[in-house]
Amino acid sequence: MNFKNRRFGKLDFEGKHVITFSQGLIGFEESRKFLIVDDEDSQPFRWLVSLEDPEMSFPLLDPELVVPDYNILQREEKKSTFVVATLRERVEESTINLRSPIVIDNTTRNGKQVVLEDDSLSLQHPLLSQPAHLLRNE
Amino acid sequence: MLVLSRKTGESITIGKGITVKVLSIHEGQIKIGIEAPKEITVHRTEIYHLVQQQNRQAALVVKSSVLKAAAMLNKRKNSSEKSV
Repeated sequence: MNFKNRRFGKLDFEGKHVITFSQGLIGFEESRKFLIVDDEDSQPFRWLVSLEDPEMSFPLLDPELVVPDYNILQREEKKSTFVVATLRERVEESTINLRSPIVIDNTTRNGKQVVLEDDSLSLQHPLLSQPAHLLRNE
Repeated sequence: MLVLSRKTGESITIGKGITVKVLSIHEGQIKIGIEAPKEITVHRTEIYHLVQQQNRQAALVVKSSVLKAAAMLNKRKNSSEKSV
């Protein structure tokens, strides 16, 4: 199967790679079928790409790269957690959304954007914020 | 907008299978209980709009911003590995 996405062009994929978001993403409820795309140039970011809307793709990040203890809060077996990144021209203004991560069940291939109850988690957490033990190296 | 008055313990039913019940009222804050089928998502409205806004902004990203952010994260990862 293949799908033509505006950002990546023609994407070839197999059915088993399709992730179903039965409720879509928040504010984007009409798109249900997605693919995770790894693009060498943009690593460590990965992409959540709609298989229904050629204009739709979201950069994802492993939250532990920014907040090392993040997954401890909601680690579930056989599920992967990603955060959606809002990347700006000025990298200091780029943020990740810790409050509503994307959770993918690796067994069922179902995905969901959840909203966590913990209101101390920021929807716009600075991408370049970092734990104190790393600051010395900058 | 439909406007209804309800007392504590009373509820309203929306369509098939959605019930909204007033659980308690205390100092201007109302606790409501919502029962809805699993496929119906329930969000605090302001959070819904904020997440929608973030998702929308995220989807609009241009390549140069991704490359910059990726380079910065990779640089940081390398420098932290060196220090271990």
